[in-house]
Amino acid sequence: MQTVKMVISGAVNAGKTEFIKAISEIEVVSTERRATDDTKMIKKETTVAMDFGRIAIADDLVLHLFGTPGQKRFDFMWEILSEGMLGLVILVDSTRPETFRETNRIIDFFVGYRDTAYVIAANKQDRPNAWSPDELRLALRQPPHIKVLPCVASDRESVKNILLDLLYVIQERSED
Amino acid sequence: MALVGNIRDFGLSDFLYLVDRGYKTGGLHLTHEQEMALLFFEKGKLVMAVRRPEDQHGDLLVRLGIISTDQLDQARQHLVAQGNDANLTQVIVDTQLAGKDQLQSALQGFTEESVYGLFGWPEGEFRFEQNQRPAADAPIIPTPISVDHLIMEGVRRIDEWGRIKDRIPSTDMIVRFLEQPGEKVKGVKLAPEEWRIFARINGKDTLAEIAQKTGLSDFDVCRIVYGFLTAGLVEVQKKPKPGLNRGPQADTPRVKKSLVNRIINRIKGM
Repeated sequence: MQTVKMVISGAVNAGKTEFIKAISEIEVVSTERRATDDTKMIKKETTVAMDFGRIAIADDLVLHLFGTPGQKRFDFMWEILSEGMLGLVILVDSTRPETFRETNRIIDFFVGYRDTAYVIAANKQDRPNAWSPDELRLALRQPPHIKVLPCVASDRESVKNILLDLLYVIQERSED
Repeated sequence: MALVGNIRDFGLSDFLYLVDRGYKTGGLHLTHEQEMALLFFEKGKLVMAVRRPEDQHGDLLVRLGIISTDQLDQARQHLVAQGNDANLTQVIVDTQLAGKDQLQSALQGFTEESVYGLFGWPEGEFRFEQNQRPAADAPIIPTPISVDHLIMEGVRRIDEWGRIKDRIPSTDMIVRFLEQPGEKVKGVKLAPEEWRIFARINGKDTLAEIAQKTGLSDFDVCRIVYGFLTAGLVEVQKKPKPGLNRGPQADTPRVKKSLVNRIINRIKGM
């Protein structure tokens, strides 16, 4: 059985857990604990370990989805999670510009030293005052070749489209 | 739809960059404690900036000594007669109540100073109303101002490490020019100290090495490079660690196209 891994990252409350829940075939394994720091201002329960989802591709192939913990004090997990990953989805809460700097820090961590295939999912596009993908591209200073895509993480079709776009990026880099 | 936030989290220079590169048209409303500011942009260029509500109208031109009250009344009558598409400053130029250069010089100076003061705000709510335009009798600058040099000047006034470190976390990073900075460079006026740094950028030296070669402090080099970065002239990257083979594809498994295609087909079928 071959397993491949994708990582879903983003700042606190960007929608990582929701994203994985929307597409995973198994109940998402998520270590949710009561937040003890400033994240409790944002949501009552926040991910302090990681989310894990799974999609069976075939009898001999499984795709694992890992959501990274959002808080800075769990940075050490990122390194572990990123080992051998096929690609990366960076989720951004499009309604909260105060998280854009943190999002840039996360992008820098994951792609600073590696040639990682990644896309940026501009989540919560269904909310009023959501910054558009074009505006997010400028705010995050992303070059034109990086895909910044509209996303609603609670919507399965939207999540599927994000994963497919990421897979197309990976496909371009893959060998025959 | 409005873009809202706080300049504590998304700095004014970052917002100006977004307006510039996104060719945005609209009104940026800023508030900080009892202060306010209102900036209008047309296709990414600044056409008006005021710090007091009463400066949003043509009376400002009288206060700046450009025209008299009688001339303002005269211009307003012409404005009403000309209809919806006209604006006050164009009417003043057309009717020769004041010269275009005189208007440009006075309004540009006023506008620039209004914006520079905003860079000193540690925080402040902002709301950008897309496609909002100034009133017809507003003191619009005849030739809109490029925001590039406003960004540079604003960044010159930054004296805190915190904001700089958001973009330049370490002096061990290398600086390189963006692939096509040519047009942007034309709009930016550099101080001699900034030229010294600019001339040292070679895509190889770290910020610490540039500081050493120019004799400037790490802080000064980072502050100046932060300005280049914010204006979109350069980018900074981590210096590759010696001895580590972390070229392209390092840490990223080389996968077969057939495997990726299988995953794509499976996801499509879900």
